[in-house]
Amino acid sequence: MALLEVKQLTKRFGGLVAVNQMNFEVAQGEIVGLIGPNGAGKTTVFNLISGILPATEGSIVLNNCELSRMPAHRRSLAGIGRTFQVVRPFEMTVLENVMVPALTRTKNTAKARKKAFQVLEMMGLDELAEAEPGNLTLAQRKRIEVARALATDPKLLLLDEVLAGLNPTEVAENLPLIRQVRDKGVTIIFIEHLMDAMMSVSERVLVMDQGSLISSGTPTEVTNDECVIKAYLGEEDPQC
Amino acid sequence: MTKNKLYIIGAFVFLVLLIIPLFYESTFVLHMYTLIFFYTALTAAWNIPAFGGQLSLGHASFFGIGAYTAAILYVNYGVSPWIGIVAAAAAAMVGGLVLSLPLIRLRGPFFTLASIAFAEVLRMIAIDWRSLTNGSVGINIPFKPSLMNLTFQSGMPFYYISLALAVGVVYLTYRIRSSALGFHLRAAASDDEAAKALGVNTTLTHFIALMWSSGITGVLGLFYVFYIYVLEPQTFFSLDLFSLQPALNGIIGGMGTVWGPVIGAILMTPLGEFLRFYLGTIQQGLNFVVYGLVLVLTVRFIPGGIVSLLTPMIKRKKAKKTANLPKETEVA
Repeated sequence: MALLEVKQLTKRFGGLVAVNQMNFEVAQGEIVGLIGPNGAGKTTVFNLISGILPATEGSIVLNNCELSRMPAHRRSLAGIGRTFQVVRPFEMTVLENVMVPALTRTKNTAKARKKAFQVLEMMGLDELAEAEPGNLTLAQRKRIEVARALATDPKLLLLDEVLAGLNPTEVAENLPLIRQVRDKGVTIIFIEHLMDAMMSVSERVLVMDQGSLISSGTPTEVTNDECVIKAYLGEEDPQC
Repeated sequence: MTKNKLYIIGAFVFLVLLIIPLFYESTFVLHMYTLIFFYTALTAAWNIPAFGGQLSLGHASFFGIGAYTAAILYVNYGVSPWIGIVAAAAAAMVGGLVLSLPLIRLRGPFFTLASIAFAEVLRMIAIDWRSLTNGSVGINIPFKPSLMNLTFQSGMPFYYISLALAVGVVYLTYRIRSSALGFHLRAAASDDEAAKALGVNTTLTHFIALMWSSGITGVLGLFYVFYIYVLEPQTFFSLDLFSLQPALNGIIGGMGTVWGPVIGAILMTPLGEFLRFYLGTIQQGLNFVVYGLVLVLTVRFIPGGIVSLLTPMIKRKKAKKTANLPKETEVA
């Protein structure tokens, strides 16, 4: 049974259709990549699933629970975790940043602190617990972003370009974390522009172009799909 | 050790404050201290929504509602102000509720503007609803000294009452700031959308903060009216005395911090009284010019308030200590 079922998901901004009739499912324990050219609507899909934006039409079902009418914070409680493409740490220490989501699950500060430490250890951030995020590197701040989302104990984690802007060494360091998170039982959808990284980690890839889902399959299948090649390179193919 | 040192200093200051009235005959000095304590409590209560980045310039609403509720119950119905505390807090919280219904989705400057308007509307109501409030003449608290009536022969009991209020409210804000509510307020102030995505109901969070703040402010209004015996709309719903003053104290001391209101009230209350006494007699309104200048300079040069000048020193010491023991850290 699918963990996440998205049906006929549509978002219109006035006349612009940013997401058009998307249908897809994600199974428990999968790592799914979401790719597409700039402006394809990938981040909008994340915003719709996490409730940052209301969907115009369509349904989003997580574990048989309909999310599409819920406000963002209730979706978080229902098991949706997300990171933002532009990192948005709160103006407080790294530990406190991770305690914020932990404190939505328990009112007990000591328990939340313990939980936050566990997540920071897992993300290799425990030594920076007392640092201010503003003083850290982008790679570290991206890890905080992931750590915060993980502290909500998500069933489904939406990672929005957590590798973008990092140098190759940092990418190599952060990449294994994605698998490590999945091995803890978290299902993952991630948006990424770094194709090598994407192809090595994802088990299945969804491809979007101009708001629509144009292809899905294993990384190899997708890269050989004519429609995908056309979307990226603009080659002529009347069938797409 | 730093922490223990701070505790020792705090305990020492507290003891000195406890024995001050025994050595000063001057009622002016006692009055000055009492005012400082009142303003410390008021600013600390004002500061609770400010943890979440909400700047209120209408706290006179809650102050006035609390004062009127208690005074009307006492004068018209003979209800002891000690029982009136509950009514004052409840009435002020209803005021907070009314303010938060439209405001709960208004953030930042829009909240601030609406809070000013709310206090002004209440002032008008207090002036016009003569049968209940006795209009702009106001209500006098009859001088019948007794503990039950919260009326005393000397200024000394109110010195201790206001000291207790200041300590109590500041401690409460400290507890709030280090609780889940405090974390969520700070997160909402920093990035509302990111907080929501992490499961924080930011609307509810702001609402609860306003409830705490309005309830406490209402109780302070009650104690203040029994301190000065006279209740009139121009004073208790006054924009500058109970709306702007706590906000100024908070901003100058350090908005959204536990100690900012304390520092702000200690510095600004005597300054305000001094300016009103000396400059206000030379040219009316001159004291506000100086006030405005202090505010502009603070916001321009130390936007985090005076407390932001002090914290780096304390933090640096703490950082050294906690480098090896991260689990021991406390929320400042």
